[in-house]
Amino acid sequence: MFFRSRRQELPGMTLEGVLGPNTRLDDAAGRAVPLPRALVVLEDGRLLFSSGNDVLALAAWDGEPEAWARFDVPVTALGARGDLVAVGLADGGLAACDRTGRRLVGWATPTGLGSISDCMVLSDDEVALVDSGYRADETLLSLAAWADAGRGMVVAVGRSGSRRELASGLNCPMGIAPDGKGSVIVSLLEHASVVELSGTVRQSGFPGYLGRIRATGSGYLICCLSRRDPLIEFLKTEKAFVAEMKARISPDHWLSPRARPEFSHDFPIELGATRLFGEVKPWAPSFSYGLVIETDHQLVPTGSAHSRANGTRHAIADAVSWNGATVAVSMASGELLRFPGSEA
Amino acid sequence: MSADIEFAARPKQRVPLFVLSPRRILADMLSSGWVESAIPFLAFVCVVIGVVATTQDYFGAANVRNLAQYAADGGLIVLAVLIVVAVGGIDLSVGSNFAMSAFVSLYCFHILGLPVPAVLVASLACGALVGAVNGILAGLIGCGALLTTLGTMITIRGIFTLASQASIVDISTSARIDDLWDWVGFEKFLTMPIGFWVLLAVAALVFVMFRQSRYGWHVLAVGGNRKAARHGGIRVKLTIFLAYLLAGLIVGLAGFLFAARQNSISADTGIGMEFFALTALVVGLGGFVPGRGAVVPVLVGFATIYILNNAMINSGFRGDFVQFTMGGIIILILAIDVKFRKNRHRLLASTYLDPVSVDLGAVKGMTGLMPGELPPRLAQAEILAAGRLDGPEDVILDDEGNLYCGNRDGRLLRLSAPDYTEITVVAKIGGRPLGLAFDAEGRIVTCVAGMGLLRVGMDGGVELLTDQTERSLLSVQDDTTIRMADDLDIAPDGVIYFTDATKRYDIDNWGLDLLEGRPNGRLLSYDPRTRRTRTVCDHLVFPNGVCVTHDGGYLLVASTWGCSILIFDLADLAAGPRIFADGLPGYPDNINRASDGGYWVALAGMRNPIMDQAMRYPKLRQRMTRRVPPNNWLFGNLNIGGVLKLDAAGVVTDALWDAPDGPLYMITSMREHEGSLFLGGVTNDKIGRITVAGADTDWTGPKSYQGRG
Repeated sequence: MFFRSRRQELPGMTLEGVLGPNTRLDDAAGRAVPLPRALVVLEDGRLLFSSGNDVLALAAWDGEPEAWARFDVPVTALGARGDLVAVGLADGGLAACDRTGRRLVGWATPTGLGSISDCMVLSDDEVALVDSGYRADETLLSLAAWADAGRGMVVAVGRSGSRRELASGLNCPMGIAPDGKGSVIVSLLEHASVVELSGTVRQSGFPGYLGRIRATGSGYLICCLSRRDPLIEFLKTEKAFVAEMKARISPDHWLSPRARPEFSHDFPIELGATRLFGEVKPWAPSFSYGLVIETDHQLVPTGSAHSRANGTRHAIADAVSWNGATVAVSMASGELLRFPGSEA
Repeated sequence: MSADIEFAARPKQRVPLFVLSPRRILADMLSSGWVESAIPFLAFVCVVIGVVATTQDYFGAANVRNLAQYAADGGLIVLAVLIVVAVGGIDLSVGSNFAMSAFVSLYCFHILGLPVPAVLVASLACGALVGAVNGILAGLIGCGALLTTLGTMITIRGIFTLASQASIVDISTSARIDDLWDWVGFEKFLTMPIGFWVLLAVAALVFVMFRQSRYGWHVLAVGGNRKAARHGGIRVKLTIFLAYLLAGLIVGLAGFLFAARQNSISADTGIGMEFFALTALVVGLGGFVPGRGAVVPVLVGFATIYILNNAMINSGFRGDFVQFTMGGIIILILAIDVKFRKNRHRLLASTYLDPVSVDLGAVKGMTGLMPGELPPRLAQAEILAAGRLDGPEDVILDDEGNLYCGNRDGRLLRLSAPDYTEITVVAKIGGRPLGLAFDAEGRIVTCVAGMGLLRVGMDGGVELLTDQTERSLLSVQDDTTIRMADDLDIAPDGVIYFTDATKRYDIDNWGLDLLEGRPNGRLLSYDPRTRRTRTVCDHLVFPNGVCVTHDGGYLLVASTWGCSILIFDLADLAAGPRIFADGLPGYPDNINRASDGGYWVALAGMRNPIMDQAMRYPKLRQRMTRRVPPNNWLFGNLNIGGVLKLDAAGVVTDALWDAPDGPLYMITSMREHEGSLFLGGVTNDKIGRITVAGADTDWTGPKSYQGRG
C-alpha cells in the first residue's frame, strides 16, 4: 500500500501532438502492387520495390515500372549503396546484384538465418542482414507479440563469405539504418524501440510496433506495422492466459496486432471498436493501423502520417524519401503510397 | 407442437437462489444511500464501546433515563439547526432564542400564573417570533443568514439579560406548584422522561417532513440548488422564511421543556448552545451540507458528542481538558469521514465489477452453418430507411404490414407499407424503446430501458404499466426498480412476460455485464387485469428476447451471455427454466416466431475463441477493467451477427449471415411478415428486408398471436 511493488515504466508516446491523427496515408497517391514488401532508392535516382518474387524499378512516380530482377522466393528486403544492391529473401538468403539487377559473382548465401527482414550495405564488400527470428511465412505479428525470448540477430556477410555476428538475442529486430556516427541502429517490432547493436536503447516508447527504420536527410522515417494497443500490452503481463491462448488457439485467431483491417466472426474485438451504423469510427481502437513516424537525427518525432482505424492502408513495411516525397509500402492494401514529406 | 418441445425431457437450467460474493456485498453497501452516514455511525459505536469499557454501569437504566432527560432540549435544538442548514442557511441565534423562550415560559408560569398549555403557547410564540425575525431578514429581505442570526443572537441575548435580571428574584421565589408542569418536567412515561418522547416525536415529524411532504422536499431543493429550485417553480423566499419559523418553533418547545425541568434560569442559559448544535450537525452530516435533511445521522452525531462530553465530565476530567479532547476527537471523526466520502466512489468503481468464471462450452449443432460455410445471404437484403433511423433494437409489423421500431432518441416510429419510405412518429416516449409487442387491442407494449414497461396507443398516448417489481429477499441493493427492461411477449391470457436484462448496469454500460458474467437479470410478468408485477425467475444471465411458443404453452427466453435459449412452462412457472437450445455460436438477442412453426433468433454478436477463454479468467477481466482504458477492453465481437433459424424443438436448421463488412452486421431483432424477414440492429441506422425461401406468404405475426395464422 505504501510502497509500489510494480515496476513503473516511462509512459509511452501517445498519438498526440506531432503524432496526432491525420489522413496523410489515406490521402496519399497509391499505386497497386501485388505483395509489396521493400523499397530502396538507387544512386541513379530510380526506386526499386519488391513485389512478391519480383523486384521492379520505377524511374518516376507516374512512369511504368520495369522488371529489374526475379528470384525463386519472395523478396523481403532491399538495400543499396553505390553499385551494390543487396536483396534479402524470405528463406534467409541474400542476393547481391549490381544496379542493373545482375547477380554479382562471389557472394555466398549465408547460412543459419531465418528470413531477412532488412538489409543494409555496409561497404562494397559487406552487407548487414537483419534476421527477425521468425520465418517469413509465419504470422510474425501474432507470434512476436507473445514471444518472451529475443531470437533476432544482425549479421554482417562479406563478399568473401566471411560472416560477423554484429548482434544477437534481439527481440524481433525489423529494420537497420546508419546512425550518422559510423555505427548502425536497429528498430525492434515488439519493444517499439530503436536500439544500438549493443542493445542500448536509443529511443523507446514509440506508439507503434515498428517495422523498418530509414535514414533521410532530416532524420529518420520509422514505419509501424501496427499501433501499440493497451489491451495487448496489458495481456503481456497475463502469462497464464497467454500460455493457454498459445496452446489452444491457432495464431490467426490470437489477440495480437494484425496487418489487415478485416472483419471476421471469430476475431476478438475491443469494446470501442464496435461499429456504429455499420461504420468503423476512425478513432476506434484497432489491431491494425497505418503509421509512418518522421523523426529528427536524435529520433525525436517531428511528424507522422496515419491511416486510421477506418482506413485500409495499414501495416506500413517500408518508407523512403524519394524525389522530395515520401514513398511507403502498405502491406494491407497492397500499394505503394506517395505523399509529400512534412519538410517538403 | 408441444409434443415437439418435450419440456420435461429437457435438461434443467441451474438458477442460483442468490448470488453470494463478498465483493458484491461490499459494492452494494458502498452504493447504498445509508453508507453516507457510516462513519458518524461507526464513531458513535466506538464512543459507546469506549464509554462501556471505561465507565462502570454508564448505560444502566437510571443513567440512561437521566441522559434522556437532559438530552431533549439539546436534541431539539440540533433538529432546528438541521432544518435551517438544510434550506441553505445557518442559525446562530438558537442559544439566545432558547434562553429567551425558557424565560418567557417561567415568566408566564410564575409571574403571570398562566395555565401550562398557555405557557407552552407563549413559549412557542416567543421562539417563533425570533424565528420569524430571522426568516424575514434572511429569507424575505435577503440579508445574509450568518449576519442576521448573529445580530439576533446578540440582540435577544441582551433582551434576555435585561428581562431575566428584572424578574429572576420573583421567579426563584415563586411558590406556584402545578401537576401538569411537574409532569412535563419530571415524570416518566413508559419509563422514559416526557422530554425524551417529545424529542422522538419531533424527530419523527421532521423525518417525515423531509421524506414525504411537499414542503420538506422544497426545503431540500432550495438548499441543494437555490437557482434550480426557483426555476422549478418553488417559492424560494417563502420556503426559507418558513424554515426559520419552524426552527424557531422547535427552539421555543425546547425552551419550554428546559423551563419545566429546571424551574430556573441563569445568565449563562443557552450560551454556547449554537456551537454545540452545529458541532453535532457537522459530525452527523460529515460536514456543513445544505440540501440534506438527514435526521437520523444528525441525532447520531448529537448522541456521540453528548455522551462523549457527559462521560468525560462524569469521569472527573477538568473542563478545559474535556474541551480539548472533544475537539481532537471531533476533528479525527471528521477527517476520517471526509476521506471516506472522497474515496467512496473510487472504491465503489474498483469493486463494482465482480467477474466470475464462465465456461460456455463448445459451439453445438452449427456444422456447415457458420459464416464462411454458407453464402452471405443477407448481402442480398433490401435496405430500408438507410440513415433515417438510430438504433432500431426491435421491429414489429401490424396486420397491414406497417413496420414499427424504436429509436435511440426515444421516439417510436412507423414505417408505412408497402415501400417503407414514409416515416412517422407514433409516440415520443422519453426513454429508449427496446422490445415491442402488440396487445389484443392493437396497442404497442414496449420495454423502455431505464423506464420499465410502457403501453403506447396508436393515438400517441403513452402509459406506464410498471417500473417496479418485488424486492428480492437476499440482496443488499434495493432491486425493486426495473433497470433495463429489454424484451417482452404477451401470453394468450394477456399476461405480459418481459425481461430486466441486468439489475446492475444501465444501457450505457450494459457491456460490463458481459465482463461480469454473473446472472444479474430476471424474468418478470405483468398482469394488466390486476396491474401486478411479479418476478417470475430471478438470477438469469442477461435474459433478453422473449417469445411465447406457437401453442401458447411455453415461453422462450434468450440468455445473451449464456449463448443459450431457455424455456419456461407457462402452466408451471415455478418449475424454473429448462434448456431449449445451447452452445449457440453467438450472443442471442430477440426471438420471434417463424411461419413454419419454428423460431428466428437474432445474434447480436459472435463468440470467438479468445473471448470464450477470457470468460474463464475472471481475475484477468477484473484487472483489465482497472488497468486498460474502457475503449480497449476485450469484448464479444458485436461487429458481426446474424439470424439463426430454429425448428420447433430448438434445433438450429439454418443461419443467415451478411458479408463480413456488410451493412447488416449486428442483428438484434427480426420479424417474419408475409414471406419476408425484417431485420433491425441496436447500433444500426437501417432495417434489412429479405425474402425467406419457402415461407408462408400469408403468415403474419398478429395473425399468429390472435390464432388466425
